[in-house]
Amino acid sequence: MRYLNKSITEIHELLKSKAIKPIDLVEEAFENIENNKEYNAYITLNKEEAIKQAKELESKEVDNLLFGLPIAIKDNIVTKGLLTTCGSHMLDNFIPIYDATVVEKIKANNMIIVGKTNMDQFGMGSSSRTSYFGSPKNPWDKTKIAGGSSGGSATTISCRDVLFALGSDTGGSIRQPSSYTGIVGMKPTYGRISRYGLVAFASSLDQIGPLTKNVYENAVILNALVGKDEKDLTSARKEEEDFTRLIGEDIKGMKIAVPNYLMSDIVSPEIITKIKETIKMLEENGAKVDYVDVKYLDKAMTLYQIIAMGEASSNLARFDGIRYGHSKENPKDIQELYFETRAEGFGEEVKRRIMVGSYLLSGENAKIYYDKALSIRDDMKKEFINVFKNYDLIIGPTTTTTAYNLDDPMDDPLKSFMDDVLVIPANMAGLPGLNLPVGFDKSHMPIGMHIIGNAFEEAKIYKLASFIEKELNLDLNPFGGENNE
Amino acid sequence: MEDKLSKEEVLHVAELARISLTEEEIKKYQVELKKLLNEVEKINDVEGYDDDILIANWDSNAELRKDVAGDMLNPKEVLENAPRHAGNYIEVPVVISDGEGA
Repeated sequence: MRYLNKSITEIHELLKSKAIKPIDLVEEAFENIENNKEYNAYITLNKEEAIKQAKELESKEVDNLLFGLPIAIKDNIVTKGLLTTCGSHMLDNFIPIYDATVVEKIKANNMIIVGKTNMDQFGMGSSSRTSYFGSPKNPWDKTKIAGGSSGGSATTISCRDVLFALGSDTGGSIRQPSSYTGIVGMKPTYGRISRYGLVAFASSLDQIGPLTKNVYENAVILNALVGKDEKDLTSARKEEEDFTRLIGEDIKGMKIAVPNYLMSDIVSPEIITKIKETIKMLEENGAKVDYVDVKYLDKAMTLYQIIAMGEASSNLARFDGIRYGHSKENPKDIQELYFETRAEGFGEEVKRRIMVGSYLLSGENAKIYYDKALSIRDDMKKEFINVFKNYDLIIGPTTTTTAYNLDDPMDDPLKSFMDDVLVIPANMAGLPGLNLPVGFDKSHMPIGMHIIGNAFEEAKIYKLASFIEKELNLDLNPFGGENNE
Repeated sequence: MEDKLSKEEVLHVAELARISLTEEEIKKYQVELKKLLNEVEKINDVEGYDDDILIANWDSNAELRKDVAGDMLNPKEVLENAPRHAGNYIEVPVVISDGEGA
């Protein structure tokens, strides 16, 4: 009997009435993971501990919607006692001694961690092919990429192994793989979720967020993840809210902006057509949709390269072979330890980015590049603020193409940035953004719509997303035959 | 002429990033890093922005936690991840050697 393809409310009722136990769900999850292991979604499984935890839960009261549900965690979020590699040789022996704040929250809700998901090394890449542990494969077509960097989290949700996964998004790393694999992925507002215990890539952009098969479940788990954390100074103190509260409301009168740049010829015609169809459907249902100009969107990739590579070069300076992680054997002095540890431990993409980042921050260059990027970024944010004076939400495509071949060449250092060109602006401005599947291309690969909200207005995004989801009623199970909730 | 960095330029950024490179890697990065740097240069084409900067999207007032002692990390656990340790100390190789000065 399968339960994990049911809705969380159904599963919750079954658990509550004791018709099933958490162990049934855990066993089913590991069976799914085993059946789908060719998709390479996981780096580490947490089977023994998960089974133990599930059994312990049998004596506890089923006190919340997430109780007893299996969840997968991206491998750059630290989990006490459970290997956390960041997809890199540099940390392939690293056992964290504390839990990230989100992991504490998950455990407090009695959710069960099944494993750590595959990812681009340190989050750097857009196809998860920079992972030291092999690439995840797209469940819709295993010759194609799952996207990245949260490729493993997207893959395991798309495969329907588990209901929930956590990812992180610095420049699209939740939303882009969600688009490629046909699932719902949310990057919340910067500050919404504590980043304590997320291995830092670019601190002014990084944000943790949930990946799920549908909108409602995404909003439910977001409820459990948010909040001020004294261990993360940038986490925001906000009044408690239920992110599901606007789901099901009529969208009549909603004002939606579509930036012209996001619908320009950098996007494949098939995707443009699909987004336009969806826009037409929204208009027919009473939403007001306008095309608008948003300045600096075409500069987002350049800003991202400077800010993300600069901050990465600083954040990754901590990997020195001294306190944890990979270490050069028998170094003759400290210089050799640093240089050789990093040469051996980091992959190519990481090396490239921290070399360029170090250069961009060195001496006078910091003024020429980094400060300037921060200045233009401020103007970009002001542009967004202006749009949100007149509109509830911004929409456009999530990606310029659908998932491409796993064996496409990786020798162009710009490609991984180009893949995220449409989703980077939300990171720059700290805004929440969600990928929603809206259809398929002619090879039946998923197409995603990106919905951007004003800061801390995730609930509005879920409102529109759930409306579209219900109207389109797509079969989003890559293995077929799913009855959508 | 091919659009690439000189060998010295690559070695300079590798030095900044504390990464040793093989000859083969140097050749590869001469081209790849140049591509990235050309892209980054595009920032100089941007005009019309004001002087304000946005360091991070964070507009709350700094809310510092109270200065009280909380749970501490267990030194034994901390050291378990250290590649080389002795007693309660992390071992490091020679930092300053004779003749090199400091």
